[in-house]
Amino acid sequence: MKLLASWLRELTDVRLPVADLASLLSMCGFEVASLDPVPEGPLAPRPPTRAAGDDANDAVIDFEITANRPDCLSVVGLAREAATACRVPLRLPWDEAGRPISSVRAVSAPTPTRVAADGLEVTIEDADLCPRYAAAVAEVTIGPSPEWLANRLTAAGVRPINNIVDVTNYVLLEMGHPMHAFDLERLAGRQLRARRARAGERLRTLDGEDRALEPDMLVIADGSVPQAVAGVMGGAHSEVWPGTRLIALESAYFKPASVRRTSKRLGLKTEASSRFERGTDINAPVVALERACALIEQIGAGRRVGAVIDVYPSPRGPIDVTLRRQRIAQLLGTTVADADVLAILTGLGFDVAEAADGWSVRVPTMRVDIVREADLIEEVARHHGYDRIPSHFPALRATSPRPDPRMARKTLLRHRLTSSGFSEAVSYTFVDEADAAPFVTGDRALVPLAYPLSEKFAVLRPSLLPGLLESVAHNRRREHRDVRLFEIGACFSPAGGEQHHVAFAWTGACVPEHWSGGLRLVDFFDAKGVVERIGEALDLPLVFTDLTNGYLVAGRAAAVSVGKTAVGVLGQLAPGQSEARGLPAGDEVYVAELDLDALDRLAPTADTRAETLPRFPSIVRDISIVVEEGLRSERLRATIRGVAPQTLIQIREFDRYKGQGIPEGRYSLSLRLTFRSPDRTLTDADVQETMERVMEALTREHQAVQR
Amino acid sequence: MPDAEEIERLRVEFQAALAAAATDQALRVVRDRFLGRKGGVIASLMKAVASASPADRPLLGMLANQFKNEIEGALDARRASLESGRPVAGGLDVTLPGRQVPLGHLHPLTHVRHQVEAIFSRMGYEILEGPEIEDDYHNFEALNMPPEHPARDMQDTFFLGQPVPQRGLGTPGTRVSTRPAPPDRPATLLRTHTSAMQIRYMEAHEPPVRIVAIGKVFRRDNPDLTHTPMFHQFEGLLVDERVTFADLKGTLTAFVREIFAPDIKVMFRPSFFPYTEPSAEMFIGCVFCGGTGCPVCKRTGWLEILGSGMVHPSVLEAVGYDAERYTGFAFGTGIERVAMLKYGVDDIRLFYENDLRFLEQFSF
Ligand SMILES: [Zn+2]
Repeated sequence: MKLLASWLRELTDVRLPVADLASLLSMCGFEVASLDPVPEGPLAPRPPTRAAGDDANDAVIDFEITANRPDCLSVVGLAREAATACRVPLRLPWDEAGRPISSVRAVSAPTPTRVAADGLEVTIEDADLCPRYAAAVAEVTIGPSPEWLANRLTAAGVRPINNIVDVTNYVLLEMGHPMHAFDLERLAGRQLRARRARAGERLRTLDGEDRALEPDMLVIADGSVPQAVAGVMGGAHSEVWPGTRLIALESAYFKPASVRRTSKRLGLKTEASSRFERGTDINAPVVALERACALIEQIGAGRRVGAVIDVYPSPRGPIDVTLRRQRIAQLLGTTVADADVLAILTGLGFDVAEAADGWSVRVPTMRVDIVREADLIEEVARHHGYDRIPSHFPALRATSPRPDPRMARKTLLRHRLTSSGFSEAVSYTFVDEADAAPFVTGDRALVPLAYPLSEKFAVLRPSLLPGLLESVAHNRRREHRDVRLFEIGACFSPAGGEQHHVAFAWTGACVPEHWSGGLRLVDFFDAKGVVERIGEALDLPLVFTDLTNGYLVAGRAAAVSVGKTAVGVLGQLAPGQSEARGLPAGDEVYVAELDLDALDRLAPTADTRAETLPRFPSIVRDISIVVEEGLRSERLRATIRGVAPQTLIQIREFDRYKGQGIPEGRYSLSLRLTFRSPDRTLTDADVQETMERVMEALTREHQAVQR
Repeated sequence: MPDAEEIERLRVEFQAALAAAATDQALRVVRDRFLGRKGGVIASLMKAVASASPADRPLLGMLANQFKNEIEGALDARRASLESGRPVAGGLDVTLPGRQVPLGHLHPLTHVRHQVEAIFSRMGYEILEGPEIEDDYHNFEALNMPPEHPARDMQDTFFLGQPVPQRGLGTPGTRVSTRPAPPDRPATLLRTHTSAMQIRYMEAHEPPVRIVAIGKVFRRDNPDLTHTPMFHQFEGLLVDERVTFADLKGTLTAFVREIFAPDIKVMFRPSFFPYTEPSAEMFIGCVFCGGTGCPVCKRTGWLEILGSGMVHPSVLEAVGYDAERYTGFAFGTGIERVAMLKYGVDDIRLFYENDLRFLEQFSF
C-alpha cells in the first residue's frame, strides 16, 4: 500500500517528518518496504487542502499490510492508526451531505433480493457469495480528472484513466472500498444481477483477455450475459468510455473466499480482488457510494440521479467483545492504565462501554480481524508499545523429558562420519524424476509433487543418493578430485511414507596424496569399513551378502542386513549412473545407503556392560589354505566356528592371494586364529588338537588344501 | 700456595673453557686439562693442598673437593646436552606437512542447529523433529488457518500428487502421552512450517509444554539469493499457567544474546501470524553495521530475526486445552537466516550446493 504522506496529514494532525511517520507506523505493525520522494514534474500532487510547507515534508511510503488488516489498505485506515498512536483525532472525508464517511452509521433493515429504482434493477441471485450489493445511477461527462486527483493516484501507483474510473480508484485508495462503474446503456435491460456464472459462459475483461468462467465464480451480469467478474475485474463491453453518458456505480460486498478462489483460478490479481479476498467492510458500500458521488460532483464530472439502491437481505451489525482488565495483565505481563485502554480503543474506532471487570467493546465491521478478547489485547499492546512491556524469564515448573534417542543416534553418526573423512551434505528433498528413477527398487515407486516448481524438483526423493551424486558431480567439476560426502535425511515412497536414511558417496583417494607417497584410491572395502563403523556406532552386527541391483556394479555390491532384516546397500556405482551425472568416465564412486528407521528399531537401548579383562594369555595359530574361487570367507569362518571350542575368540583373514603357484580357479587364504580360555592358560597341545580338527573340517566341507 | 682466591680464578678459567667447548672432542680436552690424573689442574691443586699448613688444610681441602665435584657435574651435563642435540642419521625436514587422517566437516546448518538445540535444552525445552510431509489439518487448520484463509497465501504450499500414509509417527518426543491418540491422516502436502509439530505435541500431551521443533520446511519460492523452495526452521512453544508476553520477550532476548552477542540490541514490533495473538516480530541490531545502517539492514540498523507471539486461543482450543487457564508463546525462524547472519553468508543457495570449498570453511 503506497501512502502519500500529505494525503494522510489531510485526515489527522500528525505533523511528524515523513521518516518519523514511517517508523511510527512500522512500530504499530505496518512494515515499511520503501520511502521515496514524491514523483517530480507536472504530476506532482496539488491537493486543494495542502498546507504550506508540506512540500518539503512529503513522501510516498510503501507499507506492507499484513493479511489481517484489509482496513489499512487505505489512507483512512493508516491515518486512524497514526492518529491513535499520537493520540490525536481523525478527520474522516465527507459524503454528498457533508457528513463524515463512517460505516458505523446506522445498520439498515433487511431488503428484498431485488430492488429497482430510477431506471436500474439490481438482483442478488446468490446471497452467499454476494451478501450486499449497492448501486446508483449518475449522469456523467467523461473527461480527464483534475490534476490534483490524477496526481494522487499516480503517487499511489495507480494510472489515471478518466474522471469516473479515477473517482472509483480514489475511493478505493482513500477508504479501501473497491467500486466499479458500468456504462448503464450497455447493460441489457438496465439490470445488474449478482449470480454464479453459467456453464460455458465467457467474458472479455478490461485487460482484453477472453476468459472462460466456471460455475462457482460469481459474476455481475446484465439481463443476459456476464459484465464483470465480481470483485476481480469488469468486462470490456460495459466499460466506461469517452461516449458514456449514464453510469451504474457498483459498491458491493463479496464473500472473501469466493473472490480469492476466483482470482486464483483466473490468475488475475487486482487492487479490488486483493481487498475483497481479505474482507472488506460489509457496511461500507452505501457510504462509499455516497463518497464517490460527492467526489463526482466536486470535480464536475456529473451527478447522481435517483436513489441509492441497496440490496442487503441479511444485514450484519457490529459484534460486541468483552475485554477484562485483569486478562490484559495476564497476557501481557504488565498493566495498562484504564485511560490508555480507552484512548487506544476509541481512537481505533471501537465503541467502548464500561462493564464489570473491564469493558464491553463494539467492533466496527471494518475490523474483520477482531473477533475475541485476545484480538483486543493485541490492539492495546500495539498502541501501548511492545517496548514498554518488560522482559521476564519464565519459571521452569517441570523437569524436561529425556532426549530423543533417535536424534542422539543421528548426532553420533554425524560425528562418526565426519571423523571418517566425510563432510555433511544437505540436498533438496525434491529431485528430478529421471535422476530419481534408477534408485527406485523393488515394488516401490515415486511420490510426485502436484505442481512442481520445475522438472528439477518434480518428485520427492526415494533415496539420498541422487542428491549426493549431484553434489559429487558439482565438486568434481570444481577441481575436487577426492570427494567424501554423507547425508542424513528423509526419503519417501507412496506406500512407506517418510523414512529416514543415512547415505554416503566416496570417490578419489582413500589415503590422500602425501610427499611421503601413499596415495591410494578408494575401493569397495574402504567403503565397507565405513558401513561397519556405522554398525559399531549403533552396536548392531551387520551382515553383508551378494547383491544385484540396477545402479551398482554386479560383483562389487552388497546387501546389508541385521539378522533377517534388510537395512541397506553398499557398492560401486554403475559407470552408466556416474556418467549420467556428468562424472568423468573412469571415476570409481562408492556409495552406501542405510535405513535409519530400521536401524533405530533394532538398535539395543540397554547400557553397555563392561567385561572383565582376560587373566590368561592367548595363543595364536596361522593356517594357509587353497580353496575354490567364489567360496565366501563367511562360509569358511562358519565351518571353523562349527568345530572349534569356545576358546576360539577371533578369526582374522590376513592374506589373500591368487596367481603364480596357485591353480587356476582357486585362491589361497591365510587365516589367523586366536585362542584363549577365561580360566586357565591354554597349552600347545590343546590348540594343536583343535587346529587338526579345523583343517579336517575345511577339507571335508570345502575341499581346502593346506599350503 | 693455593688459596681461596686461586680456586676462584681456576673456576672462572674452567667456565670459560667449558663454554667454548662445542663438540665432544673439545669437551674431552677440557676434561683432560682439569681432571687429568697427571698434570691436571685438580690433581695439582690436590697436591698443593696436601702440602699446605695444617691450619689452612681443612678449608682448602673442602673448597678443592667442591670445585672438583662441580667440574665433574658440569662436564657430565654438557656431554648429555651435546648428545641430545645431535641429529640422528638422516635428520628430517620438520617444515614438511604432516600426515593427516582425512576429516570431514559438519554442515554449517548443523552447527547452528546444534547451538540452538543446546541453548533451548538448557532452558528445559524438549527438542523434536517431525514429519516433513503433513496433512492440511496439522499444517493449517488447527493453526487457525481454515480453508481459503488469506494467510495461506503467505506460505504458498507444495501439494503431493497423491496422499501418502504417515507411518510410525507415534507420540512426538519421549514424554509419556496421557491423551488419546488422534486419528492418523494421510499426508497431502510438504509442511510449510515446523508449527505443525506444535499441534502434534499438544494433541499428545497436557500442559506444561516446552518444545522446540526443528527441521526442513517447504514453500513455493524460486531459488535466488535469499530464497530456496526448501529451508530449515526451528519453532519453539511454551504453554503453561501464567505465561505472558513478558516471558516471550525474556526468553527470546536470552536466545539471541547467546547465539549472536551478549550485548546485542533487540526490538519487538507488532506483526501478524494466524496462530498467535498478539504477534510480534523480533529484530536485532544489525550484525554487519552495528546499527548505523548498511545495505543488508536496508539502512534501518535492524535485522528481522524471529517471528513470535502469544499462542492464539483458537489453537489451544483446537487441541482441547483450557484457553482461560493456559497461555503460551511460540516463536520461530529460519536456520539459514541465523547461519547467514552469524557466518556472513550472502547467498542462501550455497547451503544446498554442498561445495566442499564452502563446507570446509566450517571446521569447528
Ligand atoms: Zn546494517
